[in-house]
Amino acid sequence: MAVVGFEIKDFESLGYTKGRLAELLPAVGLEVEGMTDAEVRTNVTPNRPDLLDFIGVLRLLDSFTGKSVPNEGRYTIKNQPVMNIEVAKEVKEVRPFIAGLVVKNVDLSGNTLKYLISFTDKFADTYGRRRAKLAIGLHNLDAIEGSELVYGAAAGGEEQHFVPLNSAKQMSFSEAVRSTEKGRTYGYTLGGAGTRYPFLKDSKKVLALIPIINSEATRVTEKTRELFVDITGTSRGTIDNAANLLACSFMYSGAEVYPVTVEYKNGAEVTPKPAYREVKVSLRNAERTLGVELGRHNVIGLANKMGYVAAKYGGNVQFFVPPYRVDVLNDQDVIEDLAISFGYDNIVAAPVSGYVDGLADELTEEENDMAVFMIGIGYTEAINSSLTNEKVNFENMRRKASADKYISIADSKTLSVSMLRTALLPALMQNLRESMNERMPHRMFEIGRVYGLEDKRPREAIHIALVSEHARANFAEIRSAVDEILKYTEMKDVEFKEARDEAFIAGRCASVVAGDNVVGVLGEMHPEVLERFGLEEPTVGAELTIVKEIKYEV
Amino acid sequence: MHEYELKLLSLLKEKNSAGLDYLEKNLGMGRDAIMWAAESLMGKNAVSIERVISKNVELSAEGKTDLEGFPEEALIGELYKAGGHGKVSGIKNQVSLSWAKRNGWISIDKGEVRLTGAGKDVAAGKGSYGLRELLVGLSSGKGGQNLLSRDKEGVETLIRRGLVEVKERSMVKSVSITEAGREMLEALGGGNEIGALSKEIIKSGSWKSAGFRPYDINAEVDRTFPARLHPVREFINFVRHKWLEMGFIEVSGPIVESSFWNFDALFSPQDHPTREMQDTFFLSNPREISIEDLEALERVRKMHTAGWKEVWMEGLAKQAVLRTHTTSVSAHFIRKLSNTLNENYPLRLFSVGSVFRNESIDYKHLAELHQYDGIIIGNNLTLANLIDTLKKFYGKLGFDNVKLRPSYFPFTEPSLEAFYYDEEHGDTIELTGGGIIRKEITKAMGTDRTVLAWGGGIERLMINSMVFGLDSIQTPYKNNLGWLRARKNLKV
Repeated sequence: MAVVGFEIKDFESLGYTKGRLAELLPAVGLEVEGMTDAEVRTNVTPNRPDLLDFIGVLRLLDSFTGKSVPNEGRYTIKNQPVMNIEVAKEVKEVRPFIAGLVVKNVDLSGNTLKYLISFTDKFADTYGRRRAKLAIGLHNLDAIEGSELVYGAAAGGEEQHFVPLNSAKQMSFSEAVRSTEKGRTYGYTLGGAGTRYPFLKDSKKVLALIPIINSEATRVTEKTRELFVDITGTSRGTIDNAANLLACSFMYSGAEVYPVTVEYKNGAEVTPKPAYREVKVSLRNAERTLGVELGRHNVIGLANKMGYVAAKYGGNVQFFVPPYRVDVLNDQDVIEDLAISFGYDNIVAAPVSGYVDGLADELTEEENDMAVFMIGIGYTEAINSSLTNEKVNFENMRRKASADKYISIADSKTLSVSMLRTALLPALMQNLRESMNERMPHRMFEIGRVYGLEDKRPREAIHIALVSEHARANFAEIRSAVDEILKYTEMKDVEFKEARDEAFIAGRCASVVAGDNVVGVLGEMHPEVLERFGLEEPTVGAELTIVKEIKYEV
Repeated sequence: MHEYELKLLSLLKEKNSAGLDYLEKNLGMGRDAIMWAAESLMGKNAVSIERVISKNVELSAEGKTDLEGFPEEALIGELYKAGGHGKVSGIKNQVSLSWAKRNGWISIDKGEVRLTGAGKDVAAGKGSYGLRELLVGLSSGKGGQNLLSRDKEGVETLIRRGLVEVKERSMVKSVSITEAGREMLEALGGGNEIGALSKEIIKSGSWKSAGFRPYDINAEVDRTFPARLHPVREFINFVRHKWLEMGFIEVSGPIVESSFWNFDALFSPQDHPTREMQDTFFLSNPREISIEDLEALERVRKMHTAGWKEVWMEGLAKQAVLRTHTTSVSAHFIRKLSNTLNENYPLRLFSVGSVFRNESIDYKHLAELHQYDGIIIGNNLTLANLIDTLKKFYGKLGFDNVKLRPSYFPFTEPSLEAFYYDEEHGDTIELTGGGIIRKEITKAMGTDRTVLAWGGGIERLMINSMVFGLDSIQTPYKNNLGWLRARKNLKV
């Protein structure tokens, strides 16, 4: 989600008061993040980059209120190309595609330039995946020499020089990447060593280091009346969409758009080519999706409100999607717009027919029952995260880690997270520490999932662990508690065997053995373990396997 | 009536009147307890107390310093050392001079002081000073009372000199039961009341004629510390029960997932920002999870290629992740149950479980949270059906006036968001996101049926429901025993 702010006065001058905006924006599907007397901030979902644009929002409000009725020819460009971009073969490996447009008679006064820059920046950050997939450059057309541009890629970053936007001195490409803020933010798109530096040049000079930063020479100001816009990227569909979207925006604002010819090695293209496109929508399907009898309403009117051109065609309706709607893939997206236009609040809720018995998950119910049993023997429940680290899970417990037995996390933002827990006891020890100042005895348990690896496959098990900390805690206490739990679980042929587990005091530690399987361990926690967890009183603990491996139905 | 009062009164019933020593011996109570009971009963007119006033002398601060030697003793000591005489003008302490003279230790003539024979003896330690011995006697405490009557004159002198003070103390001589006290006891059943009930009393049936002594119900008692279930378990069960009431079947799935089931099957484009390291926990071991459902794999590949017009990479789909939403479970079950012959459609399913976000953990953020997800698989399901289900579901959870607005998720179309208006904060609060699962997805999962879906965060719902007196989602996961013992109930 991107948050975009506009000044209310800019809408007011176009006939939309603050009160009207508060009512209209949610109705058109645009979430209002915040609104003051001066400003409105909207939350734009990633499917609607057209609404990052002031003009885009205005256009939607205009169609929704009927102020303007969409028509199919609205964005047809009749002007002839006024510029030529030659694409060098070197760009193929780094950033193969470019589109461009020339805008004349543009008015960038007031907030318009600010909005335009914010729009293109956010567009390239979201839809353009932080400029990796798509980037947009705005240039003052007056500062471009001639009408023949070259889109190339330089092997070394040292040969060519330019003055980057907002800089005072000449820099090489590699220096611009290193020492400008944009360079540090977007330099990553170029890749590592041996990279090529994509650039745009006119007949005399570098216009931009792409997709990093433009040249100071073509700086756009509020007074600029003619623009050249470059759009570059790794996917032709994406840059064509962007070029069309931008063209529509400029045209709606009253400027004139001229196309640009792009000469690839294998043929020439003219961009942009904004045009309404037909999407087939069955009215019956739309009605069945929404549960609304659209046929009884003015479907054409509903479509127009959302910017679509629609026409009756025999007994059916034809829908034409405006060129700035890059998110509309097929009929489902149109149907959603019809729903928004109709108003979600106007859809009459209808119960789902047919009755099926509810059914609870067995394992969850087993855990619930067991938790209640544990409360009964005086233990309070804890729920801890499955995320932990080697120090807590192994080292503090004086246990050895073996890397092929547990699931580890590749790149965590938090140092304390590096693996999935293999046992429940460590977190309970942390809980005892957290509860240090509470009245003793401290008795806690957890029933939960632990994770491991077996033959490189993840394995999920259910364990129960319990701890008791107080001045007279001893082996007998925990043995007695485990005795009762084993009776509860009705585990057969269980016996205690002397065991060595470094977490416990030697000679005061037992394993629980059922047949050939070790299903648990219990004992007096080793003083060094207590020290590592910061505990001061004798503590006993146990951990038992309840379900050895969960087999999901999926 | 307190136990102590009853004991005292019962004893006095026989004895009529008794002194403290007797009471102490026969009640098995300490003197303070007896006095407290007697005073309390007197306040109720049940007993009268006879007191005697005793006088005690106590040394003043000055008296305590003088224990070692009076000023007049110091004076003659000095004179003795100086050869038995000296000048009056050289003596600062006039009091010592006058007392030494009164004691006959010195004579004064023309400004000259001279030790007398008696004075020399005292100064040389051959005689004693009666006044000081009296002070010492009084200071020891023992026999103070006797000295007070024996050496009246001496004591008065010490009082005048400000060396001792007389303090009066009122002491209980005896406690007597009054008529009112007898009546009170009678009303309580003659004083043969049962205190602690015992096996003997129950078996012998003696309780039938005795009656029970009432206890002070407001007396201080020891605290009981309850063992309790974790509030998150209670809340999850609360939510689960609402689902079960609505005829939903509970399902579950793994938290360690392939990107395929967490992202690709749900039409999330492979270059989508949420699939970057900073949002999702990718695993280093295992690095990959194989995708066994080859049919689904091929269909998902087609869905992505056609929909996003990008090359779809199987390698990325295999990357192992900790699931970022429980919608992955829904994806599995859409695949498994949406295209069968023997299921009873519409089929309602839900799941609750842990989800993970690669967050910097701080006071506001947790890396592991719980989510719930519901789906309905059926033949003619509509957005109107989903709206009805959501209103019912959240109504059961305590949210009235749930409203809906458009939203966006890559895997639903149309999409919606359910919210309510929080009047206290003057803000709209989002409850859930949902919609109709995109046809591309259901098709790739092998069905033409419609799937309604929605989901949300358990912790967020817990905060919005204002249960357990929760102030932050962090609190329950600290597992502080004090908080777990004392936390509020789940009340919606």
